[in-house]
Amino acid sequence: MIAELVLATLFGLLLLGIHRKLIARIQRRPGPPVWQEILHMLKFSFKTTWVPVTASSTLFVAVVLIAIGIWTAAFYVLVSGGSLLVILGIYMLHKIVEHGFGLSSGSPYGKYGGVRSVISAASEIPLFVSVAVIAIYTHSLDLYAIIEYQQVSGPLIVAAFPAACAMFLVILSKMPFGPFSIVEAKELVSGYKTEHFGIWRAGLEVSNGLKTYVLLAVFLTVFFGPLTLPWLLTGMILLIVLLAFSCAITPMMSPFDSVTIQTMVTGLMLIYAAIVLLVVRP
Amino acid sequence: MSDPIGGVPYYILEFGDELVYFTPYTITLFLLALTFTVLVIISRPERQMDIAFGGDAYGTKEISLTELQFRRFMAIACGLASMGAMVTGDIFNFTLFTAMVGITNVGIVAAVKSHHVQDAAFQYGLVALCATVPLFGGAAVYAASTGSLSMIELMKGTLPAVPLIAKALLVIGVVGEGMAPFYAAKAEMFRAPGAPYVIMCSLSSLLIFLRVVEVVMLG
Repeated sequence: MIAELVLATLFGLLLLGIHRKLIARIQRRPGPPVWQEILHMLKFSFKTTWVPVTASSTLFVAVVLIAIGIWTAAFYVLVSGGSLLVILGIYMLHKIVEHGFGLSSGSPYGKYGGVRSVISAASEIPLFVSVAVIAIYTHSLDLYAIIEYQQVSGPLIVAAFPAACAMFLVILSKMPFGPFSIVEAKELVSGYKTEHFGIWRAGLEVSNGLKTYVLLAVFLTVFFGPLTLPWLLTGMILLIVLLAFSCAITPMMSPFDSVTIQTMVTGLMLIYAAIVLLVVRP
Repeated sequence: MSDPIGGVPYYILEFGDELVYFTPYTITLFLLALTFTVLVIISRPERQMDIAFGGDAYGTKEISLTELQFRRFMAIACGLASMGAMVTGDIFNFTLFTAMVGITNVGIVAAVKSHHVQDAAFQYGLVALCATVPLFGGAAVYAASTGSLSMIELMKGTLPAVPLIAKALLVIGVVGEGMAPFYAAKAEMFRAPGAPYVIMCSLSSLLIFLRVVEVVMLG
């Protein structure tokens, strides 16, 4: 389990590196090497570490551990075939972690990053509606049951394509340099993670790597069914290419526009879920 | 006997007709509420930096001891209400804990001396107050249609089916206590200093939302 966890983290960081490199190349910049995020994580692990004098020191440190803890739990749920709702819950808890990161330091940049994280909570609802649609089709939220359903009835990407689009949008909202990345916009320096340096930032990088791996793996498992490891990894790379293109060609939105679009998507998804409910389970 | 999300309960603790039960799902949520409640107890608040626009002046916001004590008390009460909502096996108790979460959320920022924060807390309080109508209404329809408020009885599948309206009212009530889009009313509240306490506002809403998803899938 430990070995898998480490490998998943490193692969997640590699995916983030590929994402960053692709965005740079699309925008005609050389960009950093693809393993840059792994180097970042290692570099921060050995840098001088401190806690700002204005910070709530216990919370400042605890949120890093909680961030790693919740994504480790999500990875365990994914590997052991637990409930999709638990992963959804962990995804939503990540918002609390971002909030904690931002507020605990006392920095205004971190604080506004944290506040933006909270006001963009509308981005979670499309994910919840996607999960509801999946439950309507499969009559279960158990990952193994969802895989079994797809073995019999074919991939859910065909039957529930709008739900896949909504989940893709949710993953996009969590990717760096994307249209919805208002929590770490440059006008806020690095947003919620501005004041976390040294080992604390390394911990954050670890959780980001694991988060990327888990979210992409869940997307592929839920919408494409059982995949062997080589196909899963290939699918994750293809998905990160798609995300990189989406991030590279769209500007970062203002907080208001970001929340408005996420709310509109939520409305559309609710209508779609109602239609699915009436048609699939009248 | 199992619920569709939580699975088979590990342990059922009965207090007469009241009961508390633990499934893997509810234990996970309970432990999260417990972790953040412990953090509230052991953390000191941060000192928020304030920058005066148009100049180089900056300073830190200090929280007085009286304010700290009151807000910490409300945050702990919020944590306890959240923990209760996570493990209760009674729908009426769940709605009570949810309403208490709404009240304590206002309490957590009520002592902050900022009119922006106070206004936001007041507006959130109004929404939460209105949301208690569908919340308790939902529980009433549960009782009227099934003759029971026990989640364990609903789990057994021997009671009449719960009408969709009861589930919808319960969800609307919980959403009104602080989920999106009503979350927006809380945005200014989160600007208040005292990170360990303010975080309880968002965490508690999130946890009760995750729990209500499990509750509405029973029966």
